[in-house]
Amino acid sequence: MTYDLIIIGGGPAGYLAGERAGAAGLKTLVIEERFLGGVCLNEGCIPSKTLLHSAKIYDYARFSEKYGVTAENVKYDHAQVIKRKNKVVKTLVGGINSKLKALKVDVANATAKILGRTSEGFQVAAGDQVYTGKRLLIATGSSAIIPPITGAKEGFAAGFVLTNREILDLDSVPGSLVVIGGGVIGLEMAAYFNSVGSKVTVIEMLDHIAGQTDRDIANLLLKTYQKKGVTFHLSSRVTEIKADGVVFEANGKQEYVPADKVLMSVGRRPNTAGVGLETIGVELARGAIKVDEYGQTNVPGVWAAGDVNGYSMLAHTAYREAEVCINNMLGKRDIMRYDAIPAVIYTNPEVAGVGETEESCRAKGIDYEAVNISMRYSGRYVAENEGGDGICKVLINKRYRNVIGVHMIGNPASEIIYGAAMLIESEMRLEDIKELVFPHPTVSEIIREAIFEF
Amino acid sequence: MATPIIMPRQGISVETCIITEWHKKKGDRVEVGDILFSYETDKASFEEEAKESGVLLEIFYGADQEVPVLTPVGVIGEPGEDITPFLPGAPAAPAAGAGTGAAADTADTAANAPTTADAAAAAPAQASPAAAAEVKISPRARNLAQKHHVDVRYAVPTGPEGRVIERDVQKLIETGPKVTPAAEAEYAALGKPVAGTGIGGRVTTKDLQAPAAAPADSTAAAPAQIPAVIEYEDQPLPNIRKLIAKAMHQSLANSAQLTLNTSFDATAILEYRKQLKAAPEGFGLENITINDLILFAVARTLVKHPALNAHFLDNTLRVFKNAHLGIAVDTDRGLMVPTLFNANLKSLNELAQQAKRLISQAKSGSINPDELQGGTFTVTNLGTLGIESFTPILNPPQTGILGVCAVEYKVKPVNGEYIHYPSMTLSLTIDHRAVDGAPAARFLQELKQNLENFPLLLAK
Repeated sequence: MTYDLIIIGGGPAGYLAGERAGAAGLKTLVIEERFLGGVCLNEGCIPSKTLLHSAKIYDYARFSEKYGVTAENVKYDHAQVIKRKNKVVKTLVGGINSKLKALKVDVANATAKILGRTSEGFQVAAGDQVYTGKRLLIATGSSAIIPPITGAKEGFAAGFVLTNREILDLDSVPGSLVVIGGGVIGLEMAAYFNSVGSKVTVIEMLDHIAGQTDRDIANLLLKTYQKKGVTFHLSSRVTEIKADGVVFEANGKQEYVPADKVLMSVGRRPNTAGVGLETIGVELARGAIKVDEYGQTNVPGVWAAGDVNGYSMLAHTAYREAEVCINNMLGKRDIMRYDAIPAVIYTNPEVAGVGETEESCRAKGIDYEAVNISMRYSGRYVAENEGGDGICKVLINKRYRNVIGVHMIGNPASEIIYGAAMLIESEMRLEDIKELVFPHPTVSEIIREAIFEF
Repeated sequence: MATPIIMPRQGISVETCIITEWHKKKGDRVEVGDILFSYETDKASFEEEAKESGVLLEIFYGADQEVPVLTPVGVIGEPGEDITPFLPGAPAAPAAGAGTGAAADTADTAANAPTTADAAAAAPAQASPAAAAEVKISPRARNLAQKHHVDVRYAVPTGPEGRVIERDVQKLIETGPKVTPAAEAEYAALGKPVAGTGIGGRVTTKDLQAPAAAPADSTAAAPAQIPAVIEYEDQPLPNIRKLIAKAMHQSLANSAQLTLNTSFDATAILEYRKQLKAAPEGFGLENITINDLILFAVARTLVKHPALNAHFLDNTLRVFKNAHLGIAVDTDRGLMVPTLFNANLKSLNELAQQAKRLISQAKSGSINPDELQGGTFTVTNLGTLGIESFTPILNPPQTGILGVCAVEYKVKPVNGEYIHYPSMTLSLTIDHRAVDGAPAARFLQELKQNLENFPLLLAK
């Protein structure tokens, strides 16, 4: 069977590329070894948001005296939450399936392996079939890293150490949870299990949490969760995972935290092994597939999108990368830009940011100016966030007076940040943004407020 | 009664013509025989005279617009007369004359009626982007758009049948979205186009910095002797120049050209030409030129060397029975190559008469475009300009072109004594894909022999 395009991997990059290619009339095959939707839909973005939403409702129910509401006998049914999560995932996976079907994109449920290339195209084995594709899109995604810490492998085999995949399917809430790695995944899971009753400890190697997030906002998030009862050990290195707890080293001292479960969330590694990339000579760089700004690898006709290229490892980045690949395949010049990719942490309060941070500006030598205002400048925020202390930080390039970064902590930052991404991507200047109308009363007005502070 | 001005059909192979200039304005009174507008095909240019007297009531297509032949381009009549039957896109008027049928065809296919100049001015400043593949755009407009990196999907088409034409792209360059607000000021100051990598190809602040500006310490370099003002003038390329440019480049890019030079003793043809000039007037032979003699010899020799009287096509060599000689003519507008069909079947006088007509029509621009194609071999003569040798460029798919050079005097030993004699160089370029060097040399050898023994060739 010969296809115009074979896509290896049915996650956000793979299935979206399938949709776009199918809509453009390319004869397309998507090969997925687990479930369409990939990590994002099955064991990442969507299931975790389902869980976090239930936790948020639970928090509202328990802590709403300040809004004049009290509820008694509030119960949290973890099993029911997981059941609902599975329903949500099933609905969405079904949606992708029927969309691909409607666009006449074939889907093979098997592990793909590239065999090589012939004059007809690239040969890919999946199950007991061999398919030929004139072009290949590698969208194999990434996997959680299990670092070579003593006891980590054994703990993982025993079901004591979990990754994002297993933790979303726990049938009960653990009494205590140690989260190794205070990045986005670690923080969201810490937030969830903290809300639903676990004693949560976060161990982070760096001196701050939340990775690349604006430092002021990361510190505020840290304080907020310390107040909510999460214990953080920063600048700490895990040295051993025992059968019932975690040993780590901080300031030269060994410490031990007991745990019922351990979440390993220290990072993700592109899935490049076992795909057969070497048979066609695809070049890797630091474990990721090397691509140019058009998404093309060093092998003409072979493209890569999503986590496997190691750039940003976010589903929305993967969507756009996939579109860039398909557009260029179809002869429409399209360039992948990474300057305005929003990043969100779905804690409560939410953290969202896009563009440069003060830290990145200093590193790159960008002459910037920043305004940092309280979210309480927004009437809607005050009305809905009793005692809220969120902030919004806006950065401009002093040379061009255009917005280059927006960062906020406070609900619902995740729904506002795309607007900031548009301002950055279109390089609007302060004076241009001042002419825009924001709906009132909304929390989004905080951006307008910040703009007028310059 | 109002009468349409129809774009004439110049030769059967011409589908569209480009209006280069209107000599009358809307509202002008015109008399029969007045020049209304100039237009050009891809090979020649022409002027259209008024066939009716009256007032130029409307102009449908402005300068630089490409118009299908037999389409009404304007209307002549008396003020107040109804011109709607002739509007592009209107159903053809039953008595609109010879062009009606074709005009109706064009009108039927026209999705958007071409706008008049007035309506175009009133068009919205910017269109919502159409899908790129759907944009109908003239080659000129596309070139301009590519040069300035503007997204043609944003252009408001004002050309015939909804085509984007040059002025639409010009307008887009002036007003359209191609640079982000932040980058705008510096981009304008930069004064040269930069490839945009932002949304929809917009130039971003990053793009401005991309071509890493020369380091500041460049002032340390020795001061260069550069005049303060470098004077120049940008001349837009006329259509014919663009065609020549494209044809020449494609010729060199797509074939394997090899040039062979030889010279022959021109005593015989110069002598023969002297006799022709001296012939009594009644013969009418005094206008036969040296070039005609060479054309005559080439045509007769060529048919014996079929690989050079041929077209090199993809997988075929199309060999012609008769020699259809292209004659390269230097005109005010540029190089034109009219074809002298069946040159090998003509008497010397017939050939000379026809060459004269073709050359004069090419120079005046009145040549039928059908006579600008169909050649099987080309002769180009730079001898009158004193050129001693050159490398002519093939006119594909032809496999050969002969360059004729100036008369020079050379010496050769004859019976132990050096004598001087008039010599002419022949520069033959061949497509080595079609012909090898030796057969090409044999052609030159025979041509040389025929020219050196011209009276004998005539007797054959």
